Amino acid sequence: MKIGVTKFPGTNNEQDVLRALSSFGIEGVLIYEKDTDKLKDLNALIIAGGFSFGDYLRPGIIAAKTAIMQELPKFVEQGNFVIGICNGFQILCETGILPGVLTTNRSTKFVSRWVYVKINKSNSVLLRNSENKIWRIPIAHFDGNYYATNEQIAELKKKNQIALQYSDEEGVISENSNPNGSMDNIAGITNKEGNVLGLMPHPERASFSYLGSEDGRTIFQNLIEELK
Amino acid sequence: MVLVLEKLYSGKAKDVITLGGEKVKIVFRNSISAFDGVKVDELKGKGEANCKISKLLFEILNHYGIETHYLKQESKNELICKKVEIIPVESVCRNITAGSFCRRYGVEKGIPFEKPIVELFYKNDELHDPLVTEEVAISLGWINEKENIIIKAVTLAVNYILVAVFKKIGLTLVDFKLEFGRTKDGKLILADEISADTMRLWEENSGEIKDKDRYRKDLGSVVDHYNDIAFRLEQIKELPKIKLKTKVRVTIDLKVSVLDPAGDITIRSLLRLGYKQVSKVNIGKSIVISFTSVPGSKLWDVTETISNEILANPLIETYSIDFSFE
Repeated sequence: MKIGVTKFPGTNNEQDVLRALSSFGIEGVLIYEKDTDKLKDLNALIIAGGFSFGDYLRPGIIAAKTAIMQELPKFVEQGNFVIGICNGFQILCETGILPGVLTTNRSTKFVSRWVYVKINKSNSVLLRNSENKIWRIPIAHFDGNYYATNEQIAELKKKNQIALQYSDEEGVISENSNPNGSMDNIAGITNKEGNVLGLMPHPERASFSYLGSEDGRTIFQNLIEELK
Repeated sequence: MVLVLEKLYSGKAKDVITLGGEKVKIVFRNSISAFDGVKVDELKGKGEANCKISKLLFEILNHYGIETHYLKQESKNELICKKVEIIPVESVCRNITAGSFCRRYGVEKGIPFEKPIVELFYKNDELHDPLVTEEVAISLGWINEKENIIIKAVTLAVNYILVAVFKKIGLTLVDFKLEFGRTKDGKLILADEISADTMRLWEENSGEIKDKDRYRKDLGSVVDHYNDIAFRLEQIKELPKIKLKTKVRVTIDLKVSVLDPAGDITIRSLLRLGYKQVSKVNIGKSIVISFTSVPGSKLWDVTETISNEILANPLIETYSIDFSFE
């Protein structure tokens, strides 16, 4: 099993993702923007967070136009798994692989803190056995405010693609538990087929007890089990 | 098969004949007229001279990337061009005061402008081709906003090129008129003629008039001077190296349905400072891209592609384009 982790200029979470993977005995492979030839050997690609290319124009847009990302639709179509974390989620939206876009937080502030997310009934094996669970997981972003058209939101709901929603500790989803203004408190979504997951919270930073939470491990565990 | 030729248009000095395959033949006649047809004459060789000047100038403009209707010269007084729908607005670019500009504003002839001036005129003989503001031309549906931007920028680019070309042969380009047309697929390109009938040219050294003003002012030997312009243009061995620069500004705004946190924060501050009349603040982006090419329909399409693919996210943003040629 070979899992790639992207590293663009400005990506700063790739080591955290590699560490989470290695705790399962998996050595992830760093994938750079021109490594299109390496895609064929991968079973999954994790697009790590950070600020790719500085995120100056719009978060994720420049990375979305790199050679590796232009090849991604094919990779996804072949049924391979793709997980976009934080900036990775923004990149997936800008490539059009996931619907919607992440815009500036309602507070206009960078938000870096622990939040709770409720795991919904999902079409993705990456969230297997997690329905209705409430995770404690950190977020750290300036543009995490999920926006999509009403039709897109309705479609996401219909196909069980709204994977994670910001909630309180009890799993109550309300404005009070919305850290960034996301529509419907959306923290993460999947594609129709369920092999692509994009999320603003950082599961790799909630993968060890010494970090304060292990809730995020589930995603990596499910991925690895599925690839075995 | 019988080829039916259709006369599309017959003007004061030219005929336009429709050919197949979205092409037309432009026939330059020897007739010349001035003062809205009050003064009319036939001048032998005038059609051929203007045909040659047009051909040479279109070839020069094509060389620099200006999109024109010119395809090739067919005979001494005929050009083959792309078929276009001529728009009823013509643009005039002025480097030095002359002609109707002096009459309209009561200014002296021969004063150079600090920056070239572009004016729009409504092509209508009965109304004597009145000056028209861009606002009127757009609101009466003669041109749209995009065409207005392209016309102005292309006119300035053509001026920049022709000033340099004529300088090389010792002539001063005082002013000129351009006409534009829409191709079948809606692209705006340079059309009609660019000749001694549609511009003012003075000898750089003596100030001697070389253009149609010779006819208007009864200065004589009109065709000789037209032929001299053509001759000197033909002698140019190497076209001047011109650094072309078109600045394209793409302005991006958030759609009204999308939350604008930065705008909301700003309006709160403005209200706090006592600007009670402020009702909404929207914060967008302005991106300026410099191209080393001339403005035109092609560059507009390139800018639209860039805007759709990268600069703006159509889900949450709208954009508008502006050209400036420097």
